[in-house]
Amino acid sequence: MAILYVRAAPTTDLNRNTEWFTYPGVWSTYILILFFSWLMVLSVFACSPGMAWTVVHLSHFFVTYQFFHWKKGTPFAEDQGIYNRLTWWEQIDSGQQLTRNRKFLTVVPIVLYLIASHTTDYQHPMLFFNTVAVFVLVVAKFPHMHKVRIFGINADQ
Amino acid sequence: MIIPYLTALTTYFSYGLLFAFGQLRDFFRKSVDWWSASTLQGYAPICLGLEDFYIRRLYLRIQDCFNRPISSPPDAWFDVVERVSNDNNKTLKRTTKVNRCLNLGSYNYLGFAAADEYCTPRVIECLKKYTPSTCSTRVDGGTTILHTEMEECVANFVGKPAAIVFGMGYVTNSAILPVLIGKGGLIISDSLNHNSIVNGARGSGATVRVFQHNTPSHLESVLREQIADGQPRTHRPWKKIIVVVEGIYSMEGELCKLPEIVSICKKYKAFVYLDEAHSIGAVGKSGRGVCELLGVDTADVDIMMGTFTKSFGSSGGYIAGSKELIQYLKYTCPAHLYATSISAPAAQQIISSIKVVLGEDGSSRGAQKLARIRENSNFFRSELQKMGFEVLGDNDSPVMPIMLYNPAKIPAFSRECLKRNVAVVTVAFPATPLLLARARICISASHSREDLLKALEVISTVGDMVGVKYFPAEPNKQQVEVGQVKKVD
Repeated sequence: MAILYVRAAPTTDLNRNTEWFTYPGVWSTYILILFFSWLMVLSVFACSPGMAWTVVHLSHFFVTYQFFHWKKGTPFAEDQGIYNRLTWWEQIDSGQQLTRNRKFLTVVPIVLYLIASHTTDYQHPMLFFNTVAVFVLVVAKFPHMHKVRIFGINADQ
Repeated sequence: MIIPYLTALTTYFSYGLLFAFGQLRDFFRKSVDWWSASTLQGYAPICLGLEDFYIRRLYLRIQDCFNRPISSPPDAWFDVVERVSNDNNKTLKRTTKVNRCLNLGSYNYLGFAAADEYCTPRVIECLKKYTPSTCSTRVDGGTTILHTEMEECVANFVGKPAAIVFGMGYVTNSAILPVLIGKGGLIISDSLNHNSIVNGARGSGATVRVFQHNTPSHLESVLREQIADGQPRTHRPWKKIIVVVEGIYSMEGELCKLPEIVSICKKYKAFVYLDEAHSIGAVGKSGRGVCELLGVDTADVDIMMGTFTKSFGSSGGYIAGSKELIQYLKYTCPAHLYATSISAPAAQQIISSIKVVLGEDGSSRGAQKLARIRENSNFFRSELQKMGFEVLGDNDSPVMPIMLYNPAKIPAFSRECLKRNVAVVTVAFPATPLLLARARICISASHSREDLLKALEVISTVGDMVGVKYFPAEPNKQQVEVGQVKKVD
């Protein structure tokens, strides 16, 4: 039986909250989790594939917005709070914009949106919710939105 | 390091699941707490809810694998106190039962951790003569003749003109770096350096840059880029540049590529700071550390730091360098001026153990110990690799991490080994990257061949049960060949 091996090169990223994203296998895991959650939604709710994709897309929106763009800081105290003002999206790749990881993470919600709207045949009201979700996510990932807090939402005191 | 692809995927998935469950529990805890009244109205919370998420939801679940109390000296066999928990590992209580276990976790490289026939009588005599504590700093009343003798002894052993000794190894790094370099200087440190160096570098106020672990070419490119750029914003030349590396990296078991790094630093006129915490006394023909092993002249390394906790069975750390450097440190370093000096029995243990290693006690026990630790490490490492474990570290290094990766395998490996009376240290986040969890084995010169064989048997059984034999087990297997991603039959 053939075993596939990959080499994990050590990174120079000192932020333990984001350096796990530089190791091999993350992108595949992400895509596989989305795919398996679609299968789970289909089996639990017994709905049409389009509705299942819409459900996956919207829950993906809520989860990634909460953890990438809302929660700030790191889940451990060893770094003494130097990242407490930055969301996870602003922390990855040490704040460099337009790296491969960031481009991948921007493309995933767009592809999910295309799949969701195609399989629901672009009907309302799913199309509206899907479009709002992908719009918010993609705008949040723009390079110009780095450290921007609109109307002071989610800003610090 | 080389990971099977499926293991990488399952590790990410497991951490994702643990994270999701932790968030769910936090959500319910927050809702329940919102209803109950709090007696601390108006006070700011001690820590933000997000900050201790890892501790509360991941670390506490397996906390019986860490911080195990022992009740005997950490020799090759020692007593591990059993603990019980009534609330699912949130709190642990000690019982009175002890297990006699094989010690594969202590940094006992030369076997000085337990009573030694040359060192211990001298230490006890010294304890009676000088009492346990000097009750003073070095500059006030804390320098005894033992301290001066010890510093000379250490300087001779390491191969430098002078040395200065502090009471604690961690403090040596974190109090010396701020003294050596300040604002306007540059510290370039290896990405896997110990927390004490990171702390000292942050506290110094100098700019800190990191180079890829043990990659001299990346060090060169970082040096070139930084020298060309100069200080941030003003672009003036740097006041000084210090490159900080370790002799043996405690989590990888790898030796530093010292000859290349020293030649690069000479070319670009940067200082070299070598932290030999794990390598002094443990590697090299006469135990003088990584410089002797790799053939680097000690005059090329500007500042040599080390600790006595690992190979010498004592406590404390030293800095060895030129006479001017040590003289300067003696009147600026806060650990020398304000911290209590190293206790006299500990100093005597250092002197006696160095004498044993050099053979000055009249026997050849030092040379025997060095030969034994080298034999033991090489034997153990090759046997583990033959069984199919992924073991890191170079030959001759007494530290060997066995890769576990999956978060569930960490407690499984640890608990199963403890059931079979082998105590191993498993290391997870934050000492290692999140996904590269490992079980770290430290070989000692006091392990006999039977101890090692028993350990191999237990680790093999547990490894089969837990599923950490990631490589095919062949008797004459060479290193697995991997490019980017390749199939291996």
